[in-house]
Order: sequence, then structure tokens, then C-alpha cells
Amino acid sequence: MSDVVLEVRGLSGGYEPTQIFRDVDLEVTAGESIGIFGPNGHGKTTFLKTLSGLIDPWAGDVFFTGMRLNREGQRGSRKWRNFNYDAVTRRRMDPKQIARAGLIHVPQGNLLFPELTVIETLAVAETAATDRRGWALDEIHALFPRVAERRNHKIRFLSGGERQMVSIAAGLIAAPRMLILDEPTLGLSPRIRQELCAAIRTVRETGLSIILIDQDVAFLEQIIDTLYLFDHGRISGRMERDEMPDHEALMVMLFGERH
Amino acid sequence: MDPETALAIFKGGIVLGALYALMATGLSLVWTTLGIFNFAHGAFIALGAYVAWQFSSSDAMALPILPAVFFTCFVMFAVGGIIYFLLVKPFERRADVVLIAVITTLAGSAIIENGLLLIWGPRAKQIQPFLSGELELAGIRLAMSEILLLCLVLIILLGIGLFLRYTRPGRAMRAVAQNRESAQLLGLDVPRLYAIAFGLSALTAGLAGSFVGTIRFMNPAMGAEPLMKALIVVIFGGVARFSSPIYAAFVIGLLEAFSIYAFGLYWAPAVLFFTMIVVLLVKPEGLFGRYQRTL
Amino acid sequence: MRYDPPLHKTQGLAAIMIALAALLIYPLIFEATYFRHVIILAFVFAIVATSWDFSLGYGGLFNFSHVALFAVGIYTYAILAKTLGVPPWLAIVAGGGTAALVALLISIPVLRLDGIYVILVTIAFSQLIYFVVISWSSVTGGTSGMVTLPTLTIGEYRLSRDGRIGYYYVGLALLAANLLFLYLVTRSRLGRAAVALKDNKYYAIARGISEARTRSQTLMASAVFTGIAGAYYAAYLRVASPDAFGLGFLTLLLSILLVGGTGTIWGPVIAAFSISVLSEWLSGFGAWQNIVIAAAIILIVVFYPGGLWAAVQELREAVDTTRTAALARWRRGRQKAAREELTGAAERILTTAHGRIAVADTGDSEKPALLFLHGNSACKEAFYKQFRSLSDTHRIIAFDLPGHGVSDNGDPEITYNIAVYAEIAEAVLADCGVRRLGVFGWSLGGYVALELAARGNVEVTALAITGTSPLAVVPEDFGHGYNPNSHLVLAGKQYFSREETRNYANSATAPISQDSAFLHSNLKRTDGRARLYMITKLNVIDWPRQMRMLSDGKIPFAILNGSDDPFLNHAYIARLNYGNIWRGGPQDIPGGRHAPFFNKPDEFNLALYAFLSDAEKMSADTERQTAAGRTTTQ
Repeated sequence: MSDVVLEVRGLSGGYEPTQIFRDVDLEVTAGESIGIFGPNGHGKTTFLKTLSGLIDPWAGDVFFTGMRLNREGQRGSRKWRNFNYDAVTRRRMDPKQIARAGLIHVPQGNLLFPELTVIETLAVAETAATDRRGWALDEIHALFPRVAERRNHKIRFLSGGERQMVSIAAGLIAAPRMLILDEPTLGLSPRIRQELCAAIRTVRETGLSIILIDQDVAFLEQIIDTLYLFDHGRISGRMERDEMPDHEALMVMLFGERH
Repeated sequence: MDPETALAIFKGGIVLGALYALMATGLSLVWTTLGIFNFAHGAFIALGAYVAWQFSSSDAMALPILPAVFFTCFVMFAVGGIIYFLLVKPFERRADVVLIAVITTLAGSAIIENGLLLIWGPRAKQIQPFLSGELELAGIRLAMSEILLLCLVLIILLGIGLFLRYTRPGRAMRAVAQNRESAQLLGLDVPRLYAIAFGLSALTAGLAGSFVGTIRFMNPAMGAEPLMKALIVVIFGGVARFSSPIYAAFVIGLLEAFSIYAFGLYWAPAVLFFTMIVVLLVKPEGLFGRYQRTL
Repeated sequence: MRYDPPLHKTQGLAAIMIALAALLIYPLIFEATYFRHVIILAFVFAIVATSWDFSLGYGGLFNFSHVALFAVGIYTYAILAKTLGVPPWLAIVAGGGTAALVALLISIPVLRLDGIYVILVTIAFSQLIYFVVISWSSVTGGTSGMVTLPTLTIGEYRLSRDGRIGYYYVGLALLAANLLFLYLVTRSRLGRAAVALKDNKYYAIARGISEARTRSQTLMASAVFTGIAGAYYAAYLRVASPDAFGLGFLTLLLSILLVGGTGTIWGPVIAAFSISVLSEWLSGFGAWQNIVIAAAIILIVVFYPGGLWAAVQELREAVDTTRTAALARWRRGRQKAAREELTGAAERILTTAHGRIAVADTGDSEKPALLFLHGNSACKEAFYKQFRSLSDTHRIIAFDLPGHGVSDNGDPEITYNIAVYAEIAEAVLADCGVRRLGVFGWSLGGYVALELAARGNVEVTALAITGTSPLAVVPEDFGHGYNPNSHLVLAGKQYFSREETRNYANSATAPISQDSAFLHSNLKRTDGRARLYMITKLNVIDWPRQMRMLSDGKIPFAILNGSDDPFLNHAYIARLNYGNIWRGGPQDIPGGRHAPFFNKPDEFNLALYAFLSDAEKMSADTERQTAAGRTTTQ
């Protein structure tokens, strides 16, 4: 299929020597948005960090807009347990290259750059947008009026919600072809949550693909087309938006009656 | 203490502080950006002195002063970058990077110092000062070398400050220093920025070395003392921000000048350190520091 | 607490005794006094580096004033013995005392700090001591130091006049005392508390460990022998100079520590000798000497961060692997007849993708097949009593897992985990031409059985396990499913001492007797890496799939545990959700232990037989139902 934007095949990884997730297959077509739902501590965040190159994958391939993001070939043997393979092996995925290809990851609880002002942060984010045009500053300001208000404040003086907004704004300025949002509403007040939710919907309506991780099924439902269940380090189910059950039913699916 | 003596001591303190600031800037830059201590900083200073001698001395290439300084900066910048890729990058992702960096940079400085010995030999050298004489300014006598030092420090600090604040790579460096992971996710080239930080640090060390080379005799181990001084300045000032060691350098300079006057040359360092330990007991993050490191 | 047997119960003691004996007789054989000098310096460096390892490696305190503590020892000796005329031996002991006191002083600012700040403050402190020594020249001699310090004497005998033999033995005795001290301290409450604080500070504090007290005690413990070594060093060289504070000395000691391996105590000892000898050997090359050593240190620390101690471990592993592989090869040829007699089944060697696997197969292809999977560190012959009594009705197949019995050792990274064991079982079955079978797994084999059934590549008509707790969430359930005791820890331990071998075989199978002797001797053959990697790779297994299989209940399933199994948490096993468990729950074999099929064979065989017949009936029923269903739809 030609309109597949992101294709993940058999991705496995973790923190040496512990494997966290294995054999994850994922396909996102152009304009599609997907959600990943699953319990905490089961490897979602590690999977996303691997996808954006922060952690080196152990096996598997990632293709993005027809381009291979990982280096070809097998991960070499790690036979000498005490040898520092990091010193001699090249990384299989390069976060810089991935971000510049347009796969932008907004991590969980992003602290950003505490001593930079909002406007400086957004300027830094432009770095990734080398050959494409990201969102313009006034578009960002229209999307997040709060960000516009506080543009000359340092990040460390912002509230959690504002910080999350700047984080997403920085992602948008970096000219994304696909945006990964890892629990953007974690620990936010309901009002800010709604604002953020509305903003993410607006972003979604521009046709940008989003991978959204959240614990709130109702929120997920507003954004995504397809939901993947992620537990025990692998994808255990896939469903379209119209067949999505509610939160309780999902938990039963994942853990049985007595979860 | 009559006002004239006080003024003289004050001047001495400021000059000393400027010298310390010059030595500590690079160390502080690497620490705030990478979170490691570069114990090869002293060796960088020695290397800078020898490189500057090589370019400027009439026994060697005998270049005029400005090109000599320019080439020295260039060479030192490259050396810093190379040292980063050889001694720091290979284990950057390990949890015990701080400790490993101490030993690799110490070993690196042993290599540099012995390399200097092999290349330039043990004979003491000195760089010809290109300015000499004295100047009297508002009742204070300033040697030309002191004026040069003050100007040099001013230029370096202003230059780095402006670079960090207003240029793209400077801003990116601050971003990487504050949150490496987020910076990576936005597509910043972290190794390159780290190499730049190391290069700039080596560059300032080179300038410090070329200056020290004009006022003292050079030998390969000449960096040990400035390294200690720089460490002390950084510790005292607090390791959280790039700028705090610079204030600390002047505080230490003044403190030292006054305690030399009050306690004599021998006891001044001990008094200084004692004060420092007391300060650290009360304010462990340093005089001007914060617990979080930011650039 | 980590299982950590005392030294005399491991193989380490022999190595230490050999090294000690070699060092004891060395000066008697070799006359060269200069090389004795090199070794004496190595003793000193080893003492200082190992002590440092206690505070830095064990306690995680980046204490960079350790070298200053050494200098404190030097100056204590110099001042006491020379200026005050204290007897030299007493001055050496006092060196340890003053160093510990200074360490207590240093610990005061350090108590509130963490990580890099500890480095900074301790550097500052050692500089303070340095400048006090320099400035107080009326007492310490300032920058020029103190010379012609008194030498050590025993009665009238002066140690400085005997070609360094006296100093050599004193140094050796100090090193031995220091190592004994550190060994005891690391195993004491203080040592454990220090490690606990390093590993998880807040948890340790919450469990009642005082951070302040532990830190200052750790620093003091690491200071005692450092100070003594400093005093001894001063008595030996008979000078005290402020050079001891210098960066050169710091670099040397830190590289000994890191090249040896932090947190190991023994590693720095090896490194102290290696680096001293290497540096001596290169001493003719001038500046190149330091360059080569520095480059070597960088290479080791960057590429091999575990240091020499890790290299020793890898060497040991290589020796052990060679030994077990040779033993397996030897037994494969020589003892085949005895094994075939025991089981009554022909043994053949099957070459699989994971090496050669020994398979015992009674081979009657018309009888229903039954696969037996043995447990950790056992072998297929453990089931010989089942081979004898069940082979009338069933075709019995068993094989040695890789690294066990007479199969080959495997590649630890790839082979030694439960998923690959199941893959090998499939290969064995394919080779036997079996597609439909009953499976019985014991302990580790029980997990292989569950995995084999859950993979679904072969049709499992009956599934029975013993001594196995099914796991849902790993590693948490591992703690729930088993009673924690030291023998359970042995299951994942790479090397067994003689005593551990006996203990493990006793609790896993049966106390040694004529009947079980082969199991005990087989344990010595097991590749230690098979135990280690099996445990560390538990998390690569798809446990939820096994649980889903069990709760779906498509396969008749039985749990036949020994009622007195010392490892299992029976309550946990009974609580799990099974879709189709035989007789409604786990069945206990009265009086059976971890291997009920071995120590209660009759009861066990009856139960297994009953289950197999019931399972056959059940699957016949299901088949009839499916067939009936098919007819109705048609």
C-alpha cells in the first residue's frame, strides 16, 4: 500500500539486558490517527522512545513515509557480556534523523527547557524543520492563546498544562508529518484538559496523523480512528473507533474479570 | 588599612579574579552542558600555551600576534571536539558517566602532558608579551598585561554570553544542556552541540594558556594548578549555571587578595579553603548555585 | 537480601590461598630487591584502592578526598615518629586513627550532599588539608616535606637493612589484614546498609537505615587502612612529601580502582599488581610510559567498563563452559549403555538449530505419545521410573535440554530461555514424527510444557505440570508463586560450590543415594549459564499467552504437586484461574517433594495415568461433539 505513512515491523526493544516489548507491528495510513491504550508499566513509553530513536531497538524495522528509519541488518551479537558495545556499534536509529523526517514525539510529562523562554523554545524547535515548513507562530498563538500570553516567560514558571501546550506547540513548529503524543493530559485539571483536547482535535482536523497514548478512553475516542491495546509488552488487540468499548470493558479485555 | 592599600588590594583581587574566571569559564561550560567534569582542562591550558608559543615565538613560526591567537583558537577548538569524541562520547549513555569521565579525562590529560614533553621537550619557555609597560588610571597602576587580561576576560565572557543567548547553535546548546531528551526529540544534533561545547571550552583554555604563557614560564605540567583553581572556582560558585562561577572567581580573587594581606602568603589558601568549606556547609549548592544545572 | 555465601563456601578461597602462598614465597626465591620494591608499592596501592572501593564502589560515595586520607597517614607517621618520638609501630596504628578522624570531619559536609556535589566538596576538603600541610611548615616541613623519618625496627633488627624483605612481609600482612577487614565489613550490617543506600536511597531510609550514620561510618571504615597504608608508606620511603596530594597519585589510584572494577574489592587488588608491574616494565620509555599506560586505562574503561574483575569472571565462565561441554561429550560416548538401561529407551542424538540434543524415545509409534520435560539442572533420566512403568501404554519421549545431560551447551544469549526450549521440543517431536501428544513438565520443564502448548504448533491432548507455578505477570508473580528461600536462589546461580551442589540436588530431587546418585553427578555437568540466563531471560517469554491458554481450558490440564514441595506457594497456585483443570484443582501427591515422580513414583504414576485416561476420554468427547456439530450444520 502506497499510503502507509508509518510502518513498524517486528519492533522489539528494552533496556539492556531487560527486554520490555517484543514483536510490535503497527501500520498508520496517511491522515489516520491511532490510539494506544494499555496499563501503566507495560512498555508503551519504552516502545515510543524506541520509535523515536531515544532507545536503540533490538530487532525489527521502521519505515516512515517510505523511508527506512533504522539501519539495515541484524543487531549484532552481544556475546561478551562486559564489553561496552555502545562504544563500537553505531546506533540503529538516530533521533535527529527521525525528528527531521517529521516523526515528532512529544514525550510524557515533558519538562522542556526550564530556563528558556517560551519563544526561545519555539525557536529551538524550528531546527527540525529543515526542508519543510512547520506551523507559523501566529497559527500556534491562535491554537494556544495561553502560549501567546506567556511567550516571554521562562518554561519553569509555567503550569503543567501550559508546559504541555508549549510542548505540543514546539512539536508543531518542528514541521511534523506525524505527531506522537504520550499521555498529554496526564495530571492536568479538567478545564485545561478540555482546552488541550480541543486543541488536539483542531490539529487532528488539519489532517495531521497522530499517535495518541492516553488512559482516558472518552478522550481517545474524540481523536483517533483505530485503537491498539498494548499490554505485557506487545499489541494484543486492534479495533476501529465504532467498535471501541468503554473503559471498564477494555480493562476486562486486558485483565479478565478480576483485574 | 589606608584607602590606598585597600585600593591596591582590590585591584589585585580583581586581576586575580579575572585570571580565575578565564581558567574556569571553559570548565564551567562543559559541566553545565554535558554534566561532567573535564579534568583535562588543565592540560588544555598547557597545550594552548605551547600551541600559542609554536605560532608566535621567534624560535618557531614567528607569526604576528593576531594570526597566532586566531590559529591557536582554531587548533584548540578542534582538539576539544576530538577529545569529546574520543574520551566522552563512547560511554555517554552509561549510568556511571560522571565517574568514568573523571578517569578518562585524567588519563587524557596525562597523554597530553607527556605528549607536550615529547614534542617540545622539558626546557622552560615563555611567550613574548606583545604589550609591556604600565598605565596609571585614576590612581591605580595597571601593568599592560593586567589590562590585557581584563580585556580578554571581558571579550570571552561577552562572546560566550552573546553566543548562548542570541545565536541558533547557542540557544540549541542551552536547550540540550537543560533537557537532552527533549532536545533530541526536536531533532537537535546532540553530539555536535556537545562537541561544540567541548571545543569552546578548549578554546577558552587555549586563550588562558597563551595568556599564562606570557607571564610565567611554561612547562607541560603547568595546567595542574590552574585546573585546581578552576575546580575550586566552579565548586565555590556553584555548579548550576554557566555564569555563577564567574562571579565566584571575582569573589575568590578578592578574598584571596585580602587574606594574603591579613594572614600572609602562606596561610591565605588555607583560609580561603576553610571559608569555602564553611560556605558549602551552609549552602551546599555553591554561593551562586542552584540544584539544577542549566546553561 | 542477595544470596551471598561466605568465602569459604565458594571456590574463591582456593584462588586467594594460592595467591597468598605465591606472595609469601616470592621473596625467598627471587633476590632482586628492586622488584620487591615494586611489589611493596603494589601492596600499598592495593590497600588504598580497595579501601576506596568500599566507600566509592560499595557506598556509592564519590569521595575524592581519599588520597588526602592517605597523605594524612603519611604525615601522622612523620610527625609522631620523628617530631614526637612515638614508637614507629604505634605511629603506624595512629595513622589509621587520624585518617578515620579526618574522614569523620569530611563526612560532616558530605552528609547533606549527593552525587557530583560530593566530588566537589571532597576535592575542596583535600585541597584544604593540602594547604594546611603546605602552610604549617614549622610542623610539616611545608613544600619540602620531611625526610629521614625513623625506620621500622623489631627489637634491634632494622627493617631498612635487609634487602626489603622485612617491609615486604609487613606490607603483605597489612594487605591481608585490610582485605579481611573489608571482607568482614562488606558482609556486616554496615556494608549491607551502604549498598542499600546506594541502590535505593529512599527505600533504605524508609526501612530504617540512617543515612548520616551509614555515610560517616562508611567513610571512616574506608579511611582506617588507608591511613595505616600511608603511615607504612612513610616508614618505608622515610620521607613525607606533599606530592601525595597531587593529581598524579589521584590518577594512579583511580585508574587502579576503575581498571580493577568498582564494587568488587578483589578487582583493584589485581589491578594494583598489574598496573605496578606494567608501569615498571615500561619505565625505560620515558614519557611514552605514561602515554601508554594512560591510553591503556582509557581503552579498558571505555571498552570494558567492568574492568579486570569482569575479565576474570569471563575467564572463569569460559573454563566452566569448556569443562561442562567436555564432560557432556565424554558421557555421551561412554555412559550411553548405562543410560539406555536405566530408561529402557534407545537414545539418539538429534542435530537441531540449537546444537545436538540427546533424545530418549521408546519408539512405539502406535501408542499415544507422551513427552517428559525435565527441570532446571536435571536430565531426561530423572524420569526413568516413568519410562519403566508407563511405557507399556504410552510412547515415552524425553530429551536433555541444551546445557543439560548429554546435550550440547547452547549459545547463552539465544538458547537458554523457555521459549527456545519449547522450540527445541517441537524440533524433537517433528523428528519423532509426533503431531499429537500428552506433555508432562517438571519445574522449569513445566514452563516449557506450558509454552509448548500455548504456541500451538503441536496438538497437545493432555498437559500436566509439577513443581511449576504458572505466571501471569513477570517478575512479580515469580515472588508470589514460590516460597523464597536460599535454595530457590540457587536455581539462577551460575556456579555451585560442592555444598551448593548437594543442597540443590537434595531439595530439587532427592538426597543422595544409590538411586539418585546420577542426578547429583549430572548437576555438575549442567552449564551454569543455562541457570543464569534462564532466570534473566524470564521476561522475554509471552506469559500472558500461557495464562490465556490455561483459562481458555481447551487443553485438559493437571497439576500434580508434591504435598511437601519446599519451593511452591500452594495457595498461589490454587488461586489461579484455570478453565479446565483435572479434578477441579491442583492435586497433591502425599509426601511428595519437588520431584514427586521420583520420590513417590507409585502414587505419582497412578495419578498421571488416571489423568491421561480422563484426558483421552475428554478429548474423545469433544471430538464427538465437534463431529456432531458438524453433522447438524450439514
